[in-house]
Amino acid sequence: MLEVLIFATLNGLVTGFLLFMLASGLTLIFSMMGVLNFAHASFYMLGAYFAYSLSLYFGFWTGLIFAPLIVGALGALVERYGLRKVHASGHVAELVFTFGLAFLIEESIQFFWGRDTKNYQTPDLLDFPLFTLFGQEFSAYRGFMMAISIGIFIALYYVLTKSRVGIIIQAAITHPQTVSNLGHNVPLIFMGVFGVGTALAGLAGVIAGPVLTTFPGMATVLGSIVFVIVIIGGLGSLAGAFIASLLIGLLQSYAIASDVGMPDLLNLLGISFDRSHPLNDLWTMNLPQIAPVLPYLLLVLVLIFRPTGLLGKREE
Amino acid sequence: MALLKKSSIWIAFLVALLGLPLLFDSILAISILNQMAIGIVFALSYNMLLGQGGMLSFGHAVYFGLGGFLSVHALMLIEYETMVFSILWIPLIGGLFGLLAGIFIGSFSTRKAGTVFAMISLGIGELIAASSLIFSSFFGGEAGISGDRTFGPTFFGFDFAQNIEIYYVAAVWAFIATLFTWLFTQTPAGRMANAVRDNPERAEFIGYSSRKVRFISFCASGMFAGIAGGLFALNYEFITEENLNAATSGRVLLMAYIGGLGYFIGPIIGAVVLTLMNSLLSNYSELWMLYLGIMFLLTVMFLPRGFAGFIMMHQVAWVRGNMKMLIKPYIITGIPALLFTACAIVLIEMSHTDDEVFHYLGLALNPASPITWIVILAIAGGAFYATKRSLIQLNDAWETANAIPKEEEA
Amino acid sequence: MAILSLIDVKKSFGITEIIRGVSLDIVEGEKHAIIGPNGAGKSTLFHLISGRYNVSAGSIHFKEQQIENKPPYEIARMGLARSFQVTNIFQRMSVFENIRCALFWSKGYGYSFWHLLGKQTELNDEAMHVLEQIGLADRAKFPSGELAYAELRALELGVAIASGSELIMLDEPVAGMSHSEAQNAVELIRKITEGKTLIMVEHDMNIVFDVADRISVLVYGEIIATDEPKNIRANSKVQEAYLGEVPSA
Ligand SMILES: Nc1ncnc2c1ncn2[C@@H]1O[C@H](COP(=O)(O)OP(=O)(O)OP(=O)(O)O)[C@@H](O)[C@H]1O
Ligand SMILES: [Mg+2]
Repeated sequence: MLEVLIFATLNGLVTGFLLFMLASGLTLIFSMMGVLNFAHASFYMLGAYFAYSLSLYFGFWTGLIFAPLIVGALGALVERYGLRKVHASGHVAELVFTFGLAFLIEESIQFFWGRDTKNYQTPDLLDFPLFTLFGQEFSAYRGFMMAISIGIFIALYYVLTKSRVGIIIQAAITHPQTVSNLGHNVPLIFMGVFGVGTALAGLAGVIAGPVLTTFPGMATVLGSIVFVIVIIGGLGSLAGAFIASLLIGLLQSYAIASDVGMPDLLNLLGISFDRSHPLNDLWTMNLPQIAPVLPYLLLVLVLIFRPTGLLGKREE
Repeated sequence: MALLKKSSIWIAFLVALLGLPLLFDSILAISILNQMAIGIVFALSYNMLLGQGGMLSFGHAVYFGLGGFLSVHALMLIEYETMVFSILWIPLIGGLFGLLAGIFIGSFSTRKAGTVFAMISLGIGELIAASSLIFSSFFGGEAGISGDRTFGPTFFGFDFAQNIEIYYVAAVWAFIATLFTWLFTQTPAGRMANAVRDNPERAEFIGYSSRKVRFISFCASGMFAGIAGGLFALNYEFITEENLNAATSGRVLLMAYIGGLGYFIGPIIGAVVLTLMNSLLSNYSELWMLYLGIMFLLTVMFLPRGFAGFIMMHQVAWVRGNMKMLIKPYIITGIPALLFTACAIVLIEMSHTDDEVFHYLGLALNPASPITWIVILAIAGGAFYATKRSLIQLNDAWETANAIPKEEEA
Repeated sequence: MAILSLIDVKKSFGITEIIRGVSLDIVEGEKHAIIGPNGAGKSTLFHLISGRYNVSAGSIHFKEQQIENKPPYEIARMGLARSFQVTNIFQRMSVFENIRCALFWSKGYGYSFWHLLGKQTELNDEAMHVLEQIGLADRAKFPSGELAYAELRALELGVAIASGSELIMLDEPVAGMSHSEAQNAVELIRKITEGKTLIMVEHDMNIVFDVADRISVLVYGEIIATDEPKNIRANSKVQEAYLGEVPSA
């Protein structure tokens, strides 16, 4: 029991930190420009694919460094030549644009890399168990993922609170109008934030690709979850996104690891149903089965009862 | 007489719907027509939300899918003679359940429009799609559920085994749904939906609860989506989780947007164009989804009001009798633009083919030879440059055609 | 007989108190002007009365009923209409549609989805009539978002007065208009509010003294005087607050 709990917690944290890498970029972009970037997870997927291709020729570590840079540059270009143009047509158009972009990126990936799953592997250097607990191994690569994510988290925190750019960004988040009055080049900041945000997503893709498999659906798998996170955390709140990332990561991990379900609950209550009962699916449901549904359930509940999210201040 | 004039466009629409299978009677054509009829109803229901009501939904397939699932269940009930009624009424069942789902979900999701609404719709869409896989006795899991439409009472001897028979059913329903969605826009509730879309706050100061106005549009939209789902069930006789998941929600957004939000005819155009692309293009190229994605992004960027908006842009020039000023510039820009598109397509296709010889527009190209690539790239470059240059004169022509005549200005 | 009465109304945003205990009775049928320097809280007071903001303390009665913290649409249905200082209309709809929407509730259409608007002759005529009154009849089909500034202000006024509410509140209705446009607007306001109650925020003292039966002076969230125009002019506290801005004539 204890080992299940420990490993579920560790895996939940790995996922949670990974999710935060995506959620932080998404939150920054939203706070600055008011755009919920639907294509954010697509940049994550691009990161994995670029890194895969680079790793074939130059090895994993080159991919780790250059793939996020390429993705970030692409992101900046998208902002400069796409999003900025659509901005004039309003928020709905922007949201729809990023939605279309997600669609196009997925199709382009199938065009360039094909539909099959890519054999993107963890580097040999990290191919050993970090430690063994109760006879179960925790791979070094997962430890590495966690280290990178925590490193990014600390760096982000440092940049946002200590550096000049960070202070401008923070000001832009809380007082969007005033920053341009102070003479800062807001379009350039926008482009930069979009680039950095997508680069972070790319980095997440690079490190997640080998474990979560690199295939054209990987953006869809994670995309809506990341959305759920930034909304549960509160739109525009980095701290909220952090809490929500860990929450969702752990929640899913525990739900998958547990093997309790309705039958246990019914047993406990001393009720039993015939297998031919029309609601049989409901009576036999178990937690691992509904794990994928949980984040959305949480999202709907949060939006109904606390539309600003956990730590959010603004509704729109 | 005035009534005749007003209804003439509707009569023309009905005649077109019913007459099309006489012109195009192949199996493929009938299947495309069926999809169009479904798509029109679905896209119109989406426009009711986004175009008329300002609610951007990423989960509209829920109402379509639930309507469809209930319709297939109704088909089963007919088949097992639990209930006996003509399958003509199946779309009504779909509509009813779309409406019920709309009432339930709308009761909490319409409090706000904007991002919050969009996200709730996304969450609910994902929630229901994922749950449908869990409740497999009702939704049939990955495989979905299927029925048979031929068991109900016949209608004047028709047993609806043929697709063409279903097409006429779908056409009539599409007509009715189109008529009613249009009539809805002509009522106080429909107009207030526009008002709330534009300015939810001010609407409250003229006596209306924005939330309730949204709720009404939302329910109506759910109902029409459900009718479309019922038509889908009749046409295909099966339905799967895919019909209520995010992919279907995305498709209807694409249809309505490309067609043109805010114009009643927009989603109809969108449904027709996308269905045609879907069925025809997919025969020619497995990359058609890529083209669709590119087209969609270009539409969002350059034609924010869709195809319908593009057509309506010419209203002023038309009224002023200046359309002929635009014909020549359009041709001058159009030719290099088409050439560029053709080159882009061939480059994309060639890079994706394993054939020795690639046939395109009557040409036999050798994808292995660098010369082929260089030549096409050069043509593409030239065409791009020519398009860009000619855009300047098109722009000038546009300005003159739309300019206010001197005497009117004074 | 007070149609509207405010009792010790307060409003704070965060820790700053913007309205600091306002009590005011508006007599049925009077034309009441609220004046005061920029940032005094005049618009905020309007928002509190019309339900846009909730009050922090105190109570507001309209026609004997408590209305504070009610949603705006309930207050509007009771017969209180208002305009906004910053133009606030339905920008993608035509000028005619703007006015017609403002008429729906008072004409009893509610949330009807069974009346076809083309057939509602009386409603449509009434909307046209309002358009003629505000001088926008020839703009009826024009998209309202593309109107010129003065026309927008006229439409803003039109949306507020269309429904013929008993109490009409106008927040700087003629601000930004040219002299002659303002003159027309004032005539219109006078005509339309005949027999009704009007509360108006206005900076132009000539207009205020011309239109108002009584004037309240709001300074820094408090009403320092409520009186007839000639007494307000003579009030030393008001003169102090306005640093001699009050025209002496
Ligand atoms: N939503 C709000 N949050 C915080 N402060 C506000 C808010 N609305 C108004 N204020 C503050 O309240 C004060 C009064 O504003 P208000 O708009 O009521 O003034 P006013 O008397 O109408 O001024 P003006 O003559 O310029 O229209 C101002 O200092 C303003 O900054
Ligand atoms: Mg004000």
